[in-house]
Amino acid sequence: MPLLENGRLVEDRWTTVGSDDTLPTTGPVIVPLDRLEDGLARPAGEKLGVALPSDADVAVLRAALPRLALVAVTFPTFRDGRAFSQARALREHLDFAGEVRVTGRPLPDQYEFLLRCGASTVQLPDGADPAVWAQAHERFTTAYQPSVRDERAEGFGLRRFLGQAAN
Amino acid sequence: MSAEILATPDTGAAPVGHYAYDQVDRAFLHDRVEQFRDQVARRLSGALSEDEFKPLRLMNGLYLQLHAYMLRVAIPYGILDSRQMRELAHIARTYDRDYGHFTTRQNIQFNWIRLEDTPDILARLAAVDMHAIQTSGNCIRNITCDQFAGAAVDELLDPRVHAEILRQWSTLHPEFSFLPRKFKIAISGSPNDRVAARFHDIGLVAKPGRHGTVFDVFVGGGMGRTPVVGVHLRDNLPEEDLLAYLEAMVRVYNEYGRRDNIYKARIKILVQALSAEGYREKVDAEFAAMDRARYRLPPETVAAIRARFGTPVLDAPSDAADRLAEARRTDALFDRWVRTNTHPHRAAGYISAVVSLKPDGGIPGDATSAQIDAIADIADRFSFGEIRISHMQNIVLGHVRQDQLHALWQELGRAGLASANIGLIGDIIACPGLDYCSLANARSIPIAQKLSARFANPALQERIGDLQIKISGCINACGHHHAGHIGILGVDKKGEEFFQLTLGGSAGNDAAIGQILGPALPEDATVDAIAHLVDAYLVHRTDGERFLDTYRRLGAALFKDAVYALA
Amino acid sequence: MDVRNNRRQAGGSSVVTANRLLDGRIVWLAEDGAWSGRIDAAQVFSNDGIEAVIDTATRRQQADGVVGVYGVQIGDDSTTPVPVTVRERIRAFGPTVHPEFATLTEGPPDVR
Ligand code: HEM
Ligand code: SF4
Repeated sequence: MPLLENGRLVEDRWTTVGSDDTLPTTGPVIVPLDRLEDGLARPAGEKLGVALPSDADVAVLRAALPRLALVAVTFPTFRDGRAFSQARALREHLDFAGEVRVTGRPLPDQYEFLLRCGASTVQLPDGADPAVWAQAHERFTTAYQPSVRDERAEGFGLRRFLGQAAN
Repeated sequence: MSAEILATPDTGAAPVGHYAYDQVDRAFLHDRVEQFRDQVARRLSGALSEDEFKPLRLMNGLYLQLHAYMLRVAIPYGILDSRQMRELAHIARTYDRDYGHFTTRQNIQFNWIRLEDTPDILARLAAVDMHAIQTSGNCIRNITCDQFAGAAVDELLDPRVHAEILRQWSTLHPEFSFLPRKFKIAISGSPNDRVAARFHDIGLVAKPGRHGTVFDVFVGGGMGRTPVVGVHLRDNLPEEDLLAYLEAMVRVYNEYGRRDNIYKARIKILVQALSAEGYREKVDAEFAAMDRARYRLPPETVAAIRARFGTPVLDAPSDAADRLAEARRTDALFDRWVRTNTHPHRAAGYISAVVSLKPDGGIPGDATSAQIDAIADIADRFSFGEIRISHMQNIVLGHVRQDQLHALWQELGRAGLASANIGLIGDIIACPGLDYCSLANARSIPIAQKLSARFANPALQERIGDLQIKISGCINACGHHHAGHIGILGVDKKGEEFFQLTLGGSAGNDAAIGQILGPALPEDATVDAIAHLVDAYLVHRTDGERFLDTYRRLGAALFKDAVYALA
Repeated sequence: MDVRNNRRQAGGSSVVTANRLLDGRIVWLAEDGAWSGRIDAAQVFSNDGIEAVIDTATRRQQADGVVGVYGVQIGDDSTTPVPVTVRERIRAFGPTVHPEFATLTEGPPDVR
């Protein structure tokens, strides 16, 4: 599936494994939360990611986080906004600096929100038009509240400048 | 963003009573309109399904109702200026059927809007610094406020600056735009609750503390099918922690609120499930863990936003009060209107006037474009161009010179807006009901019209005194029937309309949920039933007792007999 | 879709309705598969075959520019179809509080 980063398509180097798949011993893999232990049992240098279900508390990753290069959050439907809070808690509470990947069925109109909550990449849902997503990223130059990206203030009040500083 | 928008000059003096936009705010609104224009185009081309488009249009206030699209325009903290008011009249004339409906959430709704026209309507609104952002959808909705803010004599602190801060903070909030359900915040600065703080998802009461402004916080109130009086979560929240604490409150809700059942998704259900203590613990844990510096609301920010509010110069002549007294002595009709339709002002020689949108036999909250224009003109002449929408579906002119009140009243009379019934039985709240609303069980408006015609006699209304009738066309309770002294709820029985009466509700400091009186009545028996309730009250009240007090003193049995004994 | 909208008896007949995508106005499925703003132009279907008609119309929604297709039970004793519920009578004939917006000027005077 196409992967979007900063409004551009990028190559996806990660393999996502399901609950019953065999786990490759090398290479970057994303394991489901219930196989986190298996993942951690791989050699220390191998890149590991975990897929967090939307009802999980990010705090369950606290111990494993130093070993994780990626956490995937998901939208069962675009209406279910828990992934926004999970992404933000990963950045803000756990100081996670790796990749936060969005999976599931988000809408392009949610893209800027996702970035401002700390997401790095989006696995585009089937049939998504990357141009519409890219446009959504450029739509606004101002936001009205602080975010985990710590954008610079714009004028007075709470406003933040989204422009190029977003990188 | 277009050069044209950037070239718009900053309009000189700040509008009285609300925040003045600057170029950045205007560019943002412009971008928002263009975003919606694209979304509409994607919908029309089929790129977006109705299911995907719906939340996007709802976040721009566009519903699909029974007969057409309905557009709900935000009036942040209920305040607008005459220039904005005239634009609303223009939209009613050009894109709708020449009228608008002011709602209990201090918004205005247009009932006959075309999807095709909506981007242009939003562009026209943006040109006067207005929008429909977050007037619907599962996000933080329009922030509501006391209709006498900044004017009332009993006020401790003008809450509008903080209401504006909350408006900005919640606008396209990245984390809180897809909550389990809608989220409503009200803020007041008076110890006398006029915003129904205990009936909101979050209610805030601002007051001066020892080191600046502090807030009392209520959570988990609401109406709908499970009416709940909100619980007191916190006292004396310091201003600089306001946003951080709200972030924590809403985040806990976003994480734990139910998403499996739309009727159990409001924060009130979460607070009940966790208990107030349990919810408070989670919020406090979140508050402790978060990066508080990031969300700190520094005094300079508050000051910068306050500086963009115009303040009225209140310099009434010293004989203003005497001249009002004189006018009242010589004009009995005017005197009656002053008794019912004004509210004391903090400044000498001033008064707040309430313009009733409840004419005898009329539709509560409706105003024609001509009336909307007339109110704009009157506001320019008498109240610094400032207009307020109350949650009682009326209009307030906040700062009126007492010596000019008689002239104001005469102008209102010419526009058909001088009904003297504020707080009385004619001042009925009614939701749109089955005449417009796709969720309705029964029609609310015709009941309101029949009641207000039946009790049209102003002397009778004054004799009955303080009595709030609130009507909802279904259990969603948009007409606040749970909080009415007399509540009327429309129910559906095999496709026909029936009405259930509740007694004893209140939205104020003595907030209470009305109790069901008995079996639902057919439409033609409902108005008579209310008349019997009123008769019973008049017989049994003691001196100075409101309907609500008599009900609370004597209980339901007496009233039950009055309605059902004959049947 | 709200179950209330779909309330139908076993026997009897129904008409099919939706809202137009562009302006939201109420439309009724007419004889030739076109959508009309007037219920008196609506084709009347026996309830036996109505689900199939609704299915077909639902599949054509995007092409036809309508949303929210459903069936409305009508009474069987008049030339103009008259829905059996107050809600659908208000949809068919206009809001009762604004007689000047009636959809059929010659329609049944009392929609209740
Ligand atoms: C005509 C279109 C409208 C629709 C479809 C609509 C829909 C709803 C729904 C579904 C609820 C229940 C929410 C819940 O409990 O989860 C609700 C509550 C509410 N609505 Fe409306 N409404 C409409 C018009 C209005 C109007 C005109 C007003 C103001 C007069 C209004 C004010 C409110 C208020 C105050 C509540 C209850 C308070 C609360 O629990 O939040 N609504 N509305
Ligand atoms: S209470 Fe029911 S009928 Fe009235 S406006 Fe709300 S949803 Fe519609």
